[in-house]
Amino acid sequence: MIKINNLFINFQKEIIFNDFNLAIERGEKLAITGKSGTGKSTLINLLAGFIPDFKGGVSIDNIILNEENINKIRKLIAWLPQEIALKFNTVSELFIAPFEFDLNKVKYPTVQDIAKIFEAFELSLDLLQKNTNEISGGQKQRIILASCLLLKKPILLIDEPTSALDDSIKKMVADYILNKKDLTVIAVTHDNYWAQNSDKIIDLG
Amino acid sequence: MKEIIDINYFELFTGYALMLIPVFVLWYYKTGLVKDVLWATVRMTVQLLMVGVYLEYIFSLNNTLINILWVLAMSLIATYTIIQRSGLNYKLFFVPVLLSGIISISVTDAYFLGFVVKLDNIFDARYFIPVTGMLLGNTIKNVIITLDAYYKRIDNEQNLYRWHLANGASHKEALLPFMRDALKMSFNPLIATTAIMGLISLPGMMTGQILGGSNPNIAVKYQIMLLITIFSAAILNVVLTILFSNRLAFDKYFNLKKEVFRKLKTKKK
Repeated sequence: MIKINNLFINFQKEIIFNDFNLAIERGEKLAITGKSGTGKSTLINLLAGFIPDFKGGVSIDNIILNEENINKIRKLIAWLPQEIALKFNTVSELFIAPFEFDLNKVKYPTVQDIAKIFEAFELSLDLLQKNTNEISGGQKQRIILASCLLLKKPILLIDEPTSALDDSIKKMVADYILNKKDLTVIAVTHDNYWAQNSDKIIDLG
Repeated sequence: MKEIIDINYFELFTGYALMLIPVFVLWYYKTGLVKDVLWATVRMTVQLLMVGVYLEYIFSLNNTLINILWVLAMSLIATYTIIQRSGLNYKLFFVPVLLSGIISISVTDAYFLGFVVKLDNIFDARYFIPVTGMLLGNTIKNVIITLDAYYKRIDNEQNLYRWHLANGASHKEALLPFMRDALKMSFNPLIATTAIMGLISLPGMMTGQILGGSNPNIAVKYQIMLLITIFSAAILNVVLTILFSNRLAFDKYFNLKKEVFRKLKTKKK
């Protein structure tokens, strides 16, 4: 369970969150909507430990978010920003990158795992043989997303998960992720379909 | 062997005419560097002339303590120059940069002067000061390039760094690609220069020794050893600087501290 109590965050004198509270149950899907600059990304960045200057209480599975616990917290989450300047030469390097970290080596995906998720995301396995500059933005987004999901973390924090996708694929990706029962998903999104099919929507204005 | 032809002060002055070429080019392309290059030339001239006088005095004294103090002063100036040129925060980086510089020159000086040249006293002014000066002078460039490439890339590609951290990378693993790229950027030119040494470039020290009347064979051997020592000192200095500064440049959540970069002073109109 994720709990945020009396959150206060300000950036350069501008108050982003003031006395903000939130509770998310395990497996729940939360969509965060709102205009730019209202703190949507800040919220998922906070949970990943990227906003150290906050006041209030934040906990994930009863682990309090603080300097001592940050590694424990990060073990529970997979985080995907809207844009990443990824400097990988090949698609397979990009896809496999998180599994090269010591912590994730035990989670190295099997060929079947990869084939299954690629099929669900309408990705051809041949893409893995290509260079990253040979694939589209939408394909890249799905590949990173697939890689994140195969990490099998209980919480997925994700910023605009379908921004680079065509409408038909958007729906398919949303259905796949939002139907994963044990996965808690917090997504910043402008995608109506994603928001409407989430369990909870928070509109930050 | 013929005696070396001395350059008198008038001839030295006429030599400055060559500086008209860079000054013209930099002025023509409106780089805004003309003032900097003129100031650098004046500084270089004054500093070298003063060093000539100081060194003569220091060599005649040849006191270990004074020699060490001289090298410490050189290290302090090198540290200031590195931090100033890389735009980083003096408070955060002074100790790591100074410490890395001192450790790297101590290790390589001790090996080169004590083990290879087999000096009775490695602090002998005639060897200790010029060799350390060459090491410091040549490693500064690499440390500046590495620090600049490393911290600016982490800042510019924050999402990539965070993506690593948030998806299971340890701090060391998250920093690895940035370290790798910074080292490549810094050492590729040095590797290239080393590879063509003697073919299309004659290093300054060796040329100086030959002009000073040394046997070219001895000059070459010293040059080879110095190039190897410079390479080791540079890489040791760079790696230690990054490792030491990593401890101060990130917060407890492993985020890059905002104060890593020095605030640029804006000119009043």
